[in-house]
Amino acid sequence: MTAAAAAERTTAPTSGGPRPPMARWARVFRRVPWVVWVFLLVPLAVEAFWVFWPAMNSFSLSFTRWNGVGAAEPVGLGNYQDLMSDPTFQTALRNNVIWVIGFGGLSVVIGLALAVLLNRPGRGIGLYRAAIYLPMVFSLAVTGLFWRVLYSPDGLVNFSLETVGLGVLERQWLADPDVALYAVLVAAVWRQVGYIMVLYLAGLKGVDPSLEEAAAMDGANRWQRFTRIVMPQLRSVNAVVFAVTVIDSLRTFDIVWAMTRGGPYNSTHLLSTYMFEQGFTLVNLGYGSAIAVVIFALAIVFIVSYLVRSIRQEES
Amino acid sequence: MNTTTRTSPVSRRGFLLGASALGTSGLLAGCLGSEGAPEETTGTDETSGSSEPSGPVTLQNSQSDPAPREALETLIGDYPGDAEINTVAIEQFRAQLSTYLTSANPPDVLTWYAGSVARDYAAEGLLLDVSDMWEGDGACANFSDALRELSSAEDGSQIFVPTNYYWWSIFYKKSAFEEWGVSAPETWEDFLGLCEDLKGRGVSPLANGIGSTPWMASGWFDYLNLRINGAQYHRELLAGEHAFTDPEVEAVLEEYTKLIPYFDPDMASYSYQEAVTPMVQNESAMYLIGAFVTQFFPEDQRDDLDFFSVPPINPDVPSAEEAPTDGYFAASGTDNPEGTKELLAYLASAQSQQTFIEISGSSNLPTHPDVDTSGFSPLVQKGIELLNSTEEITQFFNRDSSDALQATADDALTRFLADPSDIPGILEGWQAAAERVWDQ
Repeated sequence: MTAAAAAERTTAPTSGGPRPPMARWARVFRRVPWVVWVFLLVPLAVEAFWVFWPAMNSFSLSFTRWNGVGAAEPVGLGNYQDLMSDPTFQTALRNNVIWVIGFGGLSVVIGLALAVLLNRPGRGIGLYRAAIYLPMVFSLAVTGLFWRVLYSPDGLVNFSLETVGLGVLERQWLADPDVALYAVLVAAVWRQVGYIMVLYLAGLKGVDPSLEEAAAMDGANRWQRFTRIVMPQLRSVNAVVFAVTVIDSLRTFDIVWAMTRGGPYNSTHLLSTYMFEQGFTLVNLGYGSAIAVVIFALAIVFIVSYLVRSIRQEES
Repeated sequence: MNTTTRTSPVSRRGFLLGASALGTSGLLAGCLGSEGAPEETTGTDETSGSSEPSGPVTLQNSQSDPAPREALETLIGDYPGDAEINTVAIEQFRAQLSTYLTSANPPDVLTWYAGSVARDYAAEGLLLDVSDMWEGDGACANFSDALRELSSAEDGSQIFVPTNYYWWSIFYKKSAFEEWGVSAPETWEDFLGLCEDLKGRGVSPLANGIGSTPWMASGWFDYLNLRINGAQYHRELLAGEHAFTDPEVEAVLEEYTKLIPYFDPDMASYSYQEAVTPMVQNESAMYLIGAFVTQFFPEDQRDDLDFFSVPPINPDVPSAEEAPTDGYFAASGTDNPEGTKELLAYLASAQSQQTFIEISGSSNLPTHPDVDTSGFSPLVQKGIELLNSTEEITQFFNRDSSDALQATADDALTRFLADPSDIPGILEGWQAAAERVWDQ
């Protein structure tokens, strides 16, 4: 405020022409009805108190060691140094990268393929679409419990493998550290593809068919028509899908917790499940907060880079 | 945040104001425990100074399973004094326990376990000293010395009121043993021989469930350590006075290795409840677990169950059994210590213990010597006999140590069970993780 006021005083006499910034802000301020301010400021206050303030608290907690009893003991950057040498944290970090790529990549590719496949009139198409979208009505936790039954040693997955003569592939899916994370990933993708498919189906409705016909006349084959004509028109849907998938994969928690709780021997921990285990199962609040800060930082990097990109696109 | 809900007509504005006020105090207590605590304590000191406390005594209860919950609600309903019960699911209760105890207006009585967690809270000055209940004609005066020891803080005062406990042993089905023509073993060699024999018949000798409940891997670790190195060493190891890299611990894992071929090959996929299923179908034979296992069997098989203790291995160590103990402690911040102790005494009485065990349908044992046990099932009678005749009683890994140390054991022991070829490497990793816990 004072700096701006000083700037106004010094600039005003020298250059009479351009309006000083302070005055413009004040005019904008007066032009907006007070009701709007109430609607803006009340949620802001609630948000600040219930979201930002606790978030700041966990930030300051991450520099302490605290088990919820007595005074928190300040340890400086100790928690972060411990994180660097914590093998489970490194596993969780690596798993998170695998998860973002695997979950994002698979659900988008399969969702898009299904959308293109089912974007045509035909008998029973509605039924297919409904069936593929159906898993979306279950919460991830329920999905996890359901797939745990499928993956059990004498469950449907092993039974099917044996029936088709692939008995050598049979294994304890959720108890084998080499495959457990991917087994959970399959369950999560199974639920997500329907959602992505619906988003792309909506986008495909907005694609102009005459362009595709014109390209066909020019001799473009199916693949060329898809990559050169259809995909560019889906750009806005792609942006939504990208945002939804990245955020969904960073916040994944429930399905891993329901299926493996981070086991066998910590091999399927994501940052979120490790944070939950440290913070709420072991009541290691300082350490858990440090992991939460890392998650926050990663999410911010993704979201900021996404926002910057989309604003640039709009401007150009 | 943890106050009991009382129904009264409240306007919406009043509710919102009240909710935000509660939220504020909860956040303050939860997040600024370091600064808020001293003032709050002086506040409660003032109120406890006044001789006429007001309001009912509150019991914060973690028994959220239907049957035990009903049992406890019945008990509180019959309580002649003024008491209220508030039931919270166990996982949430565990996470919020410290918040309950440090809050400005804590619940008076809380359900929890005897052992290290209670001792840690006592060392922080958060638990009410109930030593007078253990003396003279107090409610716990006739409890066994082992229970007194379990309920004592480091300074020797009593801070816990145990009301029931259960034993761990190797459970099996009598009809299945008869069918296979085998009997309960007397010695460790017999036991290994029995496992070999059963395996030859295509049966998994040992059931276990270390999938979503990896702590079950500590059951055998505890017992082998008790049988090889003794209870004293076991307690000292969990307290950080010995290293997991010691040759004593290595010997335990060497012995544990002999059992691995006999475990149910699917144990890494099962939880401890699911591991009962193959046993119900006679596909696995024996299960080292607590007496609570009976409730997972179909009702018509429960009378068929029997158990034997893990046979001795090293004849030089005194006999020991695991018997985790449940009960109550009270918050030192209570504004009504007299009423709180009256409620504790009521809950600890022989009559209350009997009522609780009957209604909750558990195989738990009473801690009060005056409870009439003649109506209990033969299995429970045998359990009482087992614990009365043993020289040492320990609890379970996390209760003798801490939840954080349990997490290190889960990692090390499930890793070991999957691949026992590198015992020294596993023990080094375990020791490194355990040191991080002890340093905190």
